[in-house]
Amino acid sequence: MNLDEWKKQKRRTTFFLFITLFLFLVISLAQLGVAPGKLLDSGERIQSMLNSMVPPDVHEPSGVLEAAIESLQIAIMGTFWGVILSLILAVFGAKNLAPHWTISYIVKGFAVLVRAVPALIWALLFIAAVGLGAVPGILALAVNSTGMLIKVYAEAIEEVEKGYIEAITATGASKFQLVMQGILPLITPIFITWSIFRFDINIRYASVLGVVGAGGIGWELVRASQTMAYNEMLGITIVIFAIVLFAEWVTRFLQKWIEKSNVRAFQSNSN
Amino acid sequence: MPIHPIYSAATSPSDNAMLFNKYKKAKKAVLWNRALLGVFLFFILLWAWIGTSFQIAELFTGFANIVAFLVNDFLPPDPGAVASMAGPILDTLFMSYAGVALSVGISFFLGVLAAKNLSFHPLCAFLSRSFIAFIRSVPAIVWGILLVAAIGLGPMAGTIALGLSGVGILGKAYADLLEEIDESQLEAVRAAGASWFQVFGQAVWPQFKSGFVTWSLYKMDLNIREAAMLGVVGAGGIGYALESSISLFQYKEAASGIVMIFFLIVIVEFATAKLRERII
Amino acid sequence: MPETILDIKSLRKIYKDGTPALNGISLTINKGEIVAVIGPSGAGKSTFLRSLNRLVEPTSGEIWFRGQNMLKLKKKELRWARREIGMIFQHFHLIKRVSVVQNVLHGKLGYMSAIKGGLGWYSQSDTKEAIAILERVGLEQELMKRADELSGGQQQRVGLARALAQRPSLLLADEPIASLDPSSSERVMEYLSTFSREEGMTTIVNLHQFDMAAAYADRIIAINNGEVVFDGAPDKLQKQEVKQIYV
Repeated sequence: MNLDEWKKQKRRTTFFLFITLFLFLVISLAQLGVAPGKLLDSGERIQSMLNSMVPPDVHEPSGVLEAAIESLQIAIMGTFWGVILSLILAVFGAKNLAPHWTISYIVKGFAVLVRAVPALIWALLFIAAVGLGAVPGILALAVNSTGMLIKVYAEAIEEVEKGYIEAITATGASKFQLVMQGILPLITPIFITWSIFRFDINIRYASVLGVVGAGGIGWELVRASQTMAYNEMLGITIVIFAIVLFAEWVTRFLQKWIEKSNVRAFQSNSN
Repeated sequence: MPIHPIYSAATSPSDNAMLFNKYKKAKKAVLWNRALLGVFLFFILLWAWIGTSFQIAELFTGFANIVAFLVNDFLPPDPGAVASMAGPILDTLFMSYAGVALSVGISFFLGVLAAKNLSFHPLCAFLSRSFIAFIRSVPAIVWGILLVAAIGLGPMAGTIALGLSGVGILGKAYADLLEEIDESQLEAVRAAGASWFQVFGQAVWPQFKSGFVTWSLYKMDLNIREAAMLGVVGAGGIGYALESSISLFQYKEAASGIVMIFFLIVIVEFATAKLRERII
Repeated sequence: MPETILDIKSLRKIYKDGTPALNGISLTINKGEIVAVIGPSGAGKSTFLRSLNRLVEPTSGEIWFRGQNMLKLKKKELRWARREIGMIFQHFHLIKRVSVVQNVLHGKLGYMSAIKGGLGWYSQSDTKEAIAILERVGLEQELMKRADELSGGQQQRVGLARALAQRPSLLLADEPIASLDPSSSERVMEYLSTFSREEGMTTIVNLHQFDMAAAYADRIIAINNGEVVFDGAPDKLQKQEVKQIYV
């Protein structure tokens, strides 16, 4: 087969690929019953809803504020327990530290299963198991976080090159000293980055967990939508938006602080 | 073995003492900063702990309960429910796909506007970036609730919510990718007198393509999980079916739904990985 | 009669997948000698060096170091023996993002209690000693820097300082200059040979470059296919033979 033919064939497969992707889109839209007409029909409804949304309003500012704070607290607690659980499990999940390779597979398999169940479904399950309130929210976030964190922590530990382990072992250090003085400093930056990233995700989840009754501001939003208080819906959406922005600001601040508390501070002090 | 000067701190006493003090001072500063950070984090945690009136015992009872609950009420999944869950799970797939198509379209447009090197005007870039950032900061579920209120229950609200939440992620990703493009190639094509579209096709697209495909397919993976959650607020798909099974205490039915979500995720991740290999 | 520090008897290593790496090596090494081990890559140089402090477990043989057989040592005894054997590596393997001084202090871990070492509570005298060693390798300006911010040559000198902090009687160097530029290479070799002579420290260094070996070593051991193919003073090794070794 010469180059021209090869190019032609490649173009043909690409063409078929796009036709398939497009056909699948048409099928999807048809199955979902999405039709331009239907969207236009609801135009009036959207119009009146948008009208009644402005100006945004919050009926009970203190109640909403309390719920917003609770969301923040749920995110903090959920991340905290998620990080603790994941750290412990990751040591058993990393192939180079696990007592036996089967344990590593079991832990990683557990993480895959946990990841497959969306956060909100975890919240539903925990509510069924322990009742309504902030606690099922915290537990759901903690479990949902482990699905992701076990994987990334374990990978970080596995990526520590054998050479570093050899170098510390060769000094006559014990295994405990090796982990504390050699491995820990190497994985700390990865550990911090992912934990903060996970907090960012959790804050978004925490703001909607209330939808199913797991505490926080999500519930206020559902309540407003049930009473068709559209201006309140917009008001609460803005509050959620503000929480997310605030949390992003805090994490960025923390990241800078952590960077500063690292050895880098040595230079500014020594000069 | 004789102790040679190399091991003795007394080689140059004054110098060494100076260095040692300098080191000690710097180390103290680092430790102090770390301690401060620790205290700060501790108080934040304490605040959250008290605020949610969390009891450490709840951690154990909570996990014990969920394990007991999963084992007793959930397992084994009810195979009879597979048929009734098949429709909603397909809906979830369709929602995810249509949602990603929608967000790719909108994000592409907004991303080009938001990229400083391609945009028509800096103000245009700024506005587009801000809009993307706003959409990004509102969780998909909130879009879902708003849209369900606007256009009613059903997968259409979910599809549009997914499309919007995708704009937050893909719009930013595309704009960032476009801004990282090698300027010199752009200049070369522009210097040849090419129109905007020619510049895009000849200089931008070849560099943008792989990132574009990777991110778009990544969003497809994410969408399955998000679509499953959107159902809970009435935006169609498997989440809706799961929510109603759970609220009717049909846990074994819900279990088979969850197993099906798991398989859908695995299948879609496999398919997107293959597709990515094929296109790039 | 020079004092023997290392007596190796028919040392063998066969890896789990069946690859033979060392096929019965027997050697004695005297106190204070600088020995260069040369040979093509894959000849077993690295396995040989790592067998001496049991980073690699030899399959059979004996290694007599300071009156004890290394291969018979229990966990704790092995750690005690290891702290008298310093080691430096091709890629340095300093702990990143940790200060230079602290990296050197890692050389003291073997002498500390598990808890103190684990938590990094190094004594004042150890810290002073670490700084003094860093001064000797010309890094007194870099004490507070992060290890990964230094150049390759500087990092290798920190690696050497870490090994010296162990107060070793035997120093193992595994391709210490293979990833350095020529001038840093020379500097590192210069430090290695100076310290060995001044401290009466025995040094075994794996080298890829024959000219470096000839310039700095008292004795050259050539290994090929896991066997010693030459053992003697550098000037006894003919150009012709060198070519054969590397074939």
